[in-house]
Order: sequence, then structure tokens, then C-alpha cells
Amino acid sequence: MIWRGLVARLRGLVRRNVVADEIRDEMQFHLAMRASEYEARGLSPDTARRLARRRFGNLAVMRDRGYDVRGGGMLETILQDLRYGVRALSARRAYTVVAVLTLAIAIGASTSLFSIIDAAVLHPLPFPHPEELVSIEVSAMTGTRRSDLSPSMPDVRAWRESASQIVAHVGMEHRAFVGQHVLDTSGEVARVSVRYVSDGALEVYGVTPALGRAITADDLRPGAVPAILLGHAYWQQRFGASPDVVGRTVRLDKAPAVIVGVLPAGFDTKMDVWRPFTSDSAENQQRGSGASVYARLRPGVTPDQAARALTPVAQRVDVGPGDRDVVVTVKSLYDETTAGQGATLTLLVAAVVLILVIACVNVAGLLVARGTARQTELAIRASIGASRMRLVRQLLTEALLLALVGGGVGVITAGLSLHAIVSILPLSLPDSASATLNVRVLAFALALCGVCAVLFGTWPAMRLSRASLTPSLSSAGRHHGSALSRRGGQVLIAIEVALAVVLLAGAGLVVTSLARLLHVDVGFDPHAVVTMEAEPLDPAPGVLRDFYPSLLSRVRQLPGVEAAGAVDMLPLGGTMSMTSVLVDRKPAMVTVTHVLPGFFEALGLRVIEGRPFADADRSTSTSVVVISERAARDLFPSGSALGRDMLVGGRQATPHRVIGVVGNVQNWVGPSRSEPAVYLAYGDPADPVSTLSTPLKIVVRTQSLTPALADGLRRAAESVGPRVFVDRIRPGTDWFDDRIVTEHHRTELIGLLGALGLLLALVGVASVTAYAVARRTREIGVRMTFGARPGQVVRTMMADAVRPVVVGLGAGLIGAFFATRVVASFLFETTVHDPATFAAVIATMIMSAGLAAWLPARRAARVDPVVALRAE
Amino acid sequence: MATTNSDQLHGTLDMLVLKTLQDGPLHGYAIAVRLERLSRDVLSVEEGSLYPALYRMEARGWLSSKWAVTETGRRARVYTMTRTGRAQLTAETKSWARLTTAVQHVLES
Repeated sequence: MIWRGLVARLRGLVRRNVVADEIRDEMQFHLAMRASEYEARGLSPDTARRLARRRFGNLAVMRDRGYDVRGGGMLETILQDLRYGVRALSARRAYTVVAVLTLAIAIGASTSLFSIIDAAVLHPLPFPHPEELVSIEVSAMTGTRRSDLSPSMPDVRAWRESASQIVAHVGMEHRAFVGQHVLDTSGEVARVSVRYVSDGALEVYGVTPALGRAITADDLRPGAVPAILLGHAYWQQRFGASPDVVGRTVRLDKAPAVIVGVLPAGFDTKMDVWRPFTSDSAENQQRGSGASVYARLRPGVTPDQAARALTPVAQRVDVGPGDRDVVVTVKSLYDETTAGQGATLTLLVAAVVLILVIACVNVAGLLVARGTARQTELAIRASIGASRMRLVRQLLTEALLLALVGGGVGVITAGLSLHAIVSILPLSLPDSASATLNVRVLAFALALCGVCAVLFGTWPAMRLSRASLTPSLSSAGRHHGSALSRRGGQVLIAIEVALAVVLLAGAGLVVTSLARLLHVDVGFDPHAVVTMEAEPLDPAPGVLRDFYPSLLSRVRQLPGVEAAGAVDMLPLGGTMSMTSVLVDRKPAMVTVTHVLPGFFEALGLRVIEGRPFADADRSTSTSVVVISERAARDLFPSGSALGRDMLVGGRQATPHRVIGVVGNVQNWVGPSRSEPAVYLAYGDPADPVSTLSTPLKIVVRTQSLTPALADGLRRAAESVGPRVFVDRIRPGTDWFDDRIVTEHHRTELIGLLGALGLLLALVGVASVTAYAVARRTREIGVRMTFGARPGQVVRTMMADAVRPVVVGLGAGLIGAFFATRVVASFLFETTVHDPATFAAVIATMIMSAGLAAWLPARRAARVDPVVALRAE
Repeated sequence: MATTNSDQLHGTLDMLVLKTLQDGPLHGYAIAVRLERLSRDVLSVEEGSLYPALYRMEARGWLSSKWAVTETGRRARVYTMTRTGRAQLTAETKSWARLTTAVQHVLES
């Protein structure tokens, strides 16, 4: 029934004339019938018609009343309001553009953020029944200390066999192994990211391969040719989404592997390849390998129940002595995934809310200011019968229209820039959840448009609809009274400036912090260094051992190269290897790095005592080491370390003699930390922690990385061996930047939000001032007639704008003083009340607001008194 | 009827219109004539106001209408009472009866 009514009304909307005609016809019929009845009683046709009409009542009124019921009704008024709104908005284009852009920025930023929150917090696990997904750890009690260990493969197998009513699937993934690998597909060589997984890992997530099969228990047998799955995106990009890849043999890290399938689209997108690990390796037989074990619980089983059920099973697993008293911990994967994102998201939400409020204040001001020019029009509408309610509705409809157009532009912008925003997000989104403009996000954006419309539309609507009739009409066109009073405008400016100052202070602190981080002394100058990765693809043993020395000798001949060396783990490279050493029977942990002669010179490390490595050190009978200053102080507290012996390595430790002490290098950027470091000669046959299969990185000391040098380096590498994979020729600062990439991204994002907030506030200052100038044209004219100079007039207008800026600045600083706590956890050597930053914020605000006020205020000077007064 | 407020008038008019349609479909003029006869000219203030009332009742789903040709060969819009309309008439008649009985009691006491 409701439907029928709605259809009739919609029909009325679309075919207004049809409805009107029907009503007219029906009433004409009535009149004709009545008239013919009168005629039948003997009246003349004329009189009959007249009497019929009189009896009927006012035909026009009846028709209108009928139309009100049958026609569009409420729906039509809304449509009318919309049409009117569109006309009103397009009539004042400049205002509309400013308002739309303002709203687009605010709503676009909010929408982007919401889609990130949606991906990171609301729906981080886009799998079937994500609530069933858990991560499992075993905790061993050693004395009173509890240590959480990753389960072993035997644990995983035991759970699958003995607790199948609790866990549906269990799988193991090596996060620690996720690294850079080389995939050689008949001729083409590329670096790929590889995840090592057990069988069942895919089944846990409840997904199936897009192509081929998943990894099975058979694939984990020792000696099996690795059965690999390609990541969906990698398969599309590298193999053109060809279904023929299944069954192909490739070489992964120099060994053959068979492609058995393709991962589903959108799954584990950061990985190019999934490969099985060998379950019998010592690492996987033990607990504490650093792997992650994930499981899918049977429906209805809680993590606590699962932990209680899995614990006795784990206690029966034989993983060597001393490990019996383990307790199994089961955590919901959702909690694991969303943990630790609170601080960043709080910060972003706070920034975006500030921008949203600034934007709404801005648009409210614009609407009221613009409304002044419309007071006459509104008064006329009121005088011909529009109720206040009707006017409010009209104005709110316009506000909503504005919000929707702004929101639409904002959402489109968000959609286009989301990828870029996510790429600089200082927060790791779950591998499988990507931020997209899905239905939830669009619904949010729509709702936000409504909220904004109410926020910025209510005040102007109330204000404008109250406009009294007589003064507006009697002064038609002269704008004596104004909806946006001088005081009102100043309050708006003060609010906007205050909010922008809070935002700027937060952003400023993050920027300051990054600047300080960039100036951390890491022990060497990354600007003077260029690195290259080169690896011969020949899998024969001993190839690497000879490759690098001959490569280095060629590199040293390149023009512009001051020194060259090689190292297995670059300082600040993100990874380091630790080993234990014994000095006078006292054990200590040190970082261990393998280098080829020339490394210290290339990196620019100061040799404090003794000498660096020489080529001859590789073949001497005594193994030698170079240690860092820190290691010298820690390991040999008394006297010089030179010539002293130490045992390097764990069980098979071998004696090494210290031949040199070099400066410290920071292992991380940030809070100062350098571990004691031991440098071993690469290729030393007595090396206890030998990594002869690890490719080295070439380190070159040079003034700058010119294209010629890069080319020379590449050709030098390719000229040494038959097939060499060359990658990542880049300046040392890149490694540095990699380490602080999160800080960089955070600064970019927060800086961007701060800049947007400032921009919106400035638009507000400028538009209110521009409006004040326009409103006071007559007054300015009078003043100038009485001798005021243009400069004085401009100053008066500026003073009007600057006073609220100062008030807002003060209020904003007080607010910022408390609000900057939000960024506290992200700051490096910067307090939340960093004086330099606050001073910079004050200066920026005053100068930019002054400029924003001056630009429109200048127009006051151009007022021609004669014209201004004649306007009366 | 001078003191009758419009809500009551609406309700009464609706009830009377439904009553006229009880025995079958009629066009607007026929309804007007029937009302005249039933109410003995009490409601014949402005005949035209019948039409907005008809449209309103149709919008509420009490009536349905279609164009038809009369015996005299003219095009007229004919109204039929729907099931909802019939239920409405029963309900209105009951409440009217209750009201009049109550008034009767008051007047007679």
C-alpha cells in the first residue's frame, strides 16, 4: 500500500501535467453534470453553469488542494528545495567552490582514515570466520621466569592428531625467514619475498589456492624439491596470469623448485612466493625457532578452552629434556593483529577531527556571510507565505547539498590518493587486509556528509531564517544589517586559529623529532657511501669466496671510487647476527660481521688501535679479528685489547687474535645503541660462524653516486662471473632512510594533515576578512572622504582580523600544551613542549594569518569613495 | 455544523463517503449526489472539497479509482472501496456509535 502511494507520488513528480489534467477533467465532469441537472430543472445554460460553479466552491483552490494530495507533496517540496539549492549554489560560484573544496578536504581525509581504520581495526582479517583464528605459543617455566616460545613442528603434529575436536587446522609460518630471495625463471632473475610455511598454513585461513594445490605434508619431507606457490599479484605481473605456470620448474636461491599453485587474490599480498620448509631441520624440531603457529579453532571453541586442551598434548611431546612443564597460550589473531595500533590511530583521528571541525566552522562562516546577501530574497519568500520551518528546511537542504558535493569530491580524491596514503602509513596494515573504499567506507562518508551538513548548516539556517522582514525589505539591496556581525566573524577566526594551532603544534613536534633523528651520529657518514648487492647465480661451492675479492679489485679501479670493501650485513641494514664469545672464560654476546679488506676504509670507520684487515689475513694460520671500541671496553676492561685472544662462536668456538680496534657503529637509528661488535675476515677457513653461502654487499666510498659510477659498478660485477645478479646500487643514506622509514612516513602524514588544517584556517581568515571588507565598503568610503589614507584603511581592516588571530593563537597554545601528549610516544629527543617548535608554530601562524588577512584587506584601499557612497 | 472542527469534519466526511461506496463503485458527482441525499443537504457547503478528500482517501489506500465511461458516454473517474476502506468504515462506524451513545447519555441524564 505504501508502495502504491509512493509510486503514485513519483508518477506525480515525473508527470505533473498528467495529474493536473486528470484533476481538471474530473472537476469539469462534475461541473458539467451539475449544470445539466440544473438545466433539466429549467434554468438557462448560463445560469446553470454559474450556479454549478458557485456550489462547487473556488475551483482553483480545490484543484490546488487536490494537487497537494495527489501531486508530489513532501517529495516535491524537497525536490523544489534541491532545485532551488542548486540554483542558489551555482549563482554564487566563488563561495560554493571554496566551501566545496573545504569540505572535500575534510571529508576526503576522514574517509581515507576511516577506510584505514576499517582495514586495520574493524576488519583486519578478511577471511571466513576470522573469530576462529588464533595464534599459539608455548610458555616454558624456567625457575620463576616464564619465556614464550614458538611451538615446534612436533607440537603442531601432536595437536593435529590428538586435538582435532579443538583445532580444525594448524599451520606454521616462519616470519623470521621472510627475507629477500632470488627467483631464477629460465633467463630472468628477480628478487622476491618468500614466506616459509608448513602444510596446513593456507587451510588455517579458510582459503584455497587460486590455481593448483596447497602445500602438503609430503612437501615438507627432507630432500623433496620445494613445491612453491606464487603470490597472486606476482603471478599476474611476472607471469601475465598464465595458468601454465603450474608444474613449471624454476630456481629459487640457486636450487630447483616446482610451482604447484597460485595464492588467492588479495591474500598475503606482501609475499611473492610461499615455499615449504623442511620439517626435519633442527630448527623446526625445536621450540623457540621464532616461527608463528596459527590455527583455526572448531566453531564455538574459545581460546581459553583451546589452551586448556592443547597444554596436556604439548606436555607429552618429546622435544628434549627440561621442556616438559610447558603451558600453551592461545590468543585471538584479531587481538594480535590490532595490538599496538592504538597510539598511531588516536593521533590520526585527533588530527582529522580537528580538520573536520575547522572545515565546518569555515563553511558555517561562509554560509552566514553569503546569507547576508540573500536576506532580501529570504524576506521576500517569508512575506509571500513561506514559514520559518520552510526556510530552515530550504537552508538545510542547501547545506546538505553542499556537503554531498564536497563529500563526493572528497571521496573521489580519497579513492585516488588512498594508495599513496596507505604507502606512507606509519602503521603496518595486516598483510591480508587492504584499505579500500568498500560499502562500509562509502556509508561512513555519506553519514559524515549528513553530520557535517548539520554541524555547519544549523547555525546559519537558524540565523538567516530569523532575519526580520521589514528592515530587509525596506533597505532592499543595501545590506545594512548583516547576518555575520563583526564579532561573529572574529569569533570564527579565533576558533579556527585555535584549532589549527593545536594541529600545527602536534605536526611541528613530529617534524622536529624527525629532524633530530636525521642528525643522529651513527658512527659513519652514510652520504659518502654507495652500496651494491651482487651475487653469482652459479650454485657451485666456493664461487662466492673467489667472486668478491676479484670484484673488489675491479671496483677499486673505477673512477671516483676512493675505497671499496664488502660485508655480509650492512650497518643499519636491518639485520644483524649475534654470537657468543669467551674472553678469559667469561662469556659475552656480540654482533658478528664478516668483511673483506677495504670495508673499514670504505665505510670511513676510524681505526683506533692496531690495523684493519689485509688480504693476507685470509690465509694466515692464526685467525684474526677486528673489534669495535665498545667491544674492546666491554671484553677487555683492563689494558689494550691488541694481541689478546678470544674464543668466537658457540659450541665450536675457535681462538681469534685481536689485530685492531675500530670506532663504534650504531645498529639502530634512534635511542643511542651500539652493541659490542666483532668483525671476522670473510673466507677464513677457521671461521666458526662461517657464512660462505651468504652473498656480500659491496661498500664503496665515493663523493656521489653518478649514473656513470652505477653503470661501472654493474658492469664490473657482470664481468667477473658468467651469470651475476646485480641489485640495489644505492647511496648509503637509503639504508639509513629504510631504518627511519616509519618516522618519515609518520612525519609526512602528520605534516600533511597539519598543512591542511593550516590551509583551511587561512581560508577562513581570508574569507571572513574579505567579507568584512565587502560589508564595510560604505564605511570605508566615508572614512576616505574624510581623509583616511588607503594604508590606514587597510590597517584598520587588518587589525580587525589580527586581533582574533592572536586570541585564537593564545587559546590554541593552551590547548596544544595539553593535547601534544598524543604525540609523545613518537618523539625522539623532543619533549611535548619543545620551545623551538612552539616558537615556530607561533611565527608560522602569525605570519600566514597576517598574509591571509592582508590579501583581501588590500581591496579596502582600492575602494573609490565616490562609487561607495553613490551606492546609497 | 458551524462549530465542528476540521478534523472531525474530515473524519465524518470520510465515513460518509465510504458509506456511499458500500454498495458499489461511483464517480465523484454520484458520490456528491448520494451524500446530499443521505445527509439531507447538511454537508453541501462546497462540493469541490469532496475531491481533495477523495484523493486523500485514495492515498491512504481506502479507495481505488480508474477512468470509466458513463452511460451517457462521458469519461468519469470511478471510485471503489478497498478492503482497507471497508475495515476503516466498520471501525469508524463503531467509534461514531460509541460517541453518539455517549452524547445521548449525557443529554438524557
